[in-house]
Amino acid sequence: MLKNLMLRFAPSLAAAALVATACQDSTPLTSVAHKPNFWAGPPPSCVTGKWTGGGRIDPPNNADLQDETSGGQPPRYSDGLSPMNGKVTFGFNVFLGSDDNGNCVVNKGEIQVNWHPGKVSWHVSIHDGVDAYDGRPVFASTFADNSGGFCVVVGIPETFMTARVNPQGGTELTQFEGCDNDRGEPQNSRSDAMRWRSMHFGDTGLTFLTGGNIVEHGS
Amino acid sequence: MNRMSMLWVNRFVAPALVVGLTTGLAAAAVAQSVGGQAYGTYVNTPAGFSTRSPLAVLPAISGTDGAEADAQGSTLNIVGALSSEFLNSTTSGELGALEAGAQSTASAASVNILNGLITADEVVANVMSSRTASTAVSNADGSTFTNLVVAGVPVTSGDAAVAPNTNISLPGVGYVVLNEQIPAGDGATSSGLTVNMIHVYLQSLVGGVLDPLTGKVVGGTLQTTGEIIVGSATSNASM
Repeated sequence: MLKNLMLRFAPSLAAAALVATACQDSTPLTSVAHKPNFWAGPPPSCVTGKWTGGGRIDPPNNADLQDETSGGQPPRYSDGLSPMNGKVTFGFNVFLGSDDNGNCVVNKGEIQVNWHPGKVSWHVSIHDGVDAYDGRPVFASTFADNSGGFCVVVGIPETFMTARVNPQGGTELTQFEGCDNDRGEPQNSRSDAMRWRSMHFGDTGLTFLTGGNIVEHGS
Repeated sequence: MNRMSMLWVNRFVAPALVVGLTTGLAAAAVAQSVGGQAYGTYVNTPAGFSTRSPLAVLPAISGTDGAEADAQGSTLNIVGALSSEFLNSTTSGELGALEAGAQSTASAASVNILNGLITADEVVANVMSSRTASTAVSNADGSTFTNLVVAGVPVTSGDAAVAPNTNISLPGVGYVVLNEQIPAGDGATSSGLTVNMIHVYLQSLVGGVLDPLTGKVVGGTLQTTGEIIVGSATSNASM
């Protein structure tokens, strides 16, 4: 389903990217991007704030199944994505805000994810509210999970976000999720969790960190 | 707050106000800070030199800002000293009202040191530091070796951790410290940690005299003449 969604939206995304590229010196990109159908209903909740973190997960070990579908997230592998198992290391920093329409957006951010068994790395770079690899805004959502944690999803359906892929040298649609479960008490209560979804390489599922930390710093 | 000023406060101000003042002064006087760095390899040997690479350093952060830095390398080969591939270094950190934190990760795959003296399918260094209102902590959870072999002896089977600061002698070469951990900070208002997953110390006998009867060197001291580091990550946080 995710692949189908991505394929269905690929032409419009490419068009949006072209328009964004052409207009980057004159028109705010948020005003030319297509408004995703996702917001036919109310926009997702968004607590403006800052998130940072990094570390390691080892899916399928330490799966956070209880919280995986919080915030309307799909169960693992259910969108036609294959399991992305094995060692994954990552680091990220995102600043959330609202656009003129009240949508939750990423104003700036960097996300680095490395999938070790496949020797694949992704990088997402967002500056001034625009994804550096496709010229589109990146939408996000924040929500409380089922266990008292607080989560952020960066690159929500149906537009997701575009990441550079190495060593292939191309780009693809991806989605990042991080959950601050220990809420300011570093890893002494319940480990934080992370999930990475990639159009071509699969889905880690929401997984407790083997090491590292994820922090929601508020606004 | 020093003792004299505290006495002055105790004499003239209600205890409740003292608490408020000291808290406020501490917050105003002590700046938050976070730092981080990660790199895959460092080589300084007679056989060759390679700077810390790929190196990711957390930029200076002020106010309530945050940042992420990363660096990648596909392969590294210093003939006779070290070869490795899929090198990734990432560090991130942020200052917040309730918590200041940093975390760093470095990894290297297909590690071969000193012509097979030490090999590993993969090495991951992972550290985090956090400073909250109540504590300052760091740890190296998630730091592991995959199929590590030292001088022909398997140290880990599969992906596993090794006890911090495990020292193994390398006769004729020097020694290696596995999961070398170097803490920093006071554990109350600041905390930091550096982990070097593989740190080879090359040593040579310096200052000895050759005994013509035995052909052996007599006296002298072992001195470190080179080093190789694979998988290094550092983080620190203070408030």
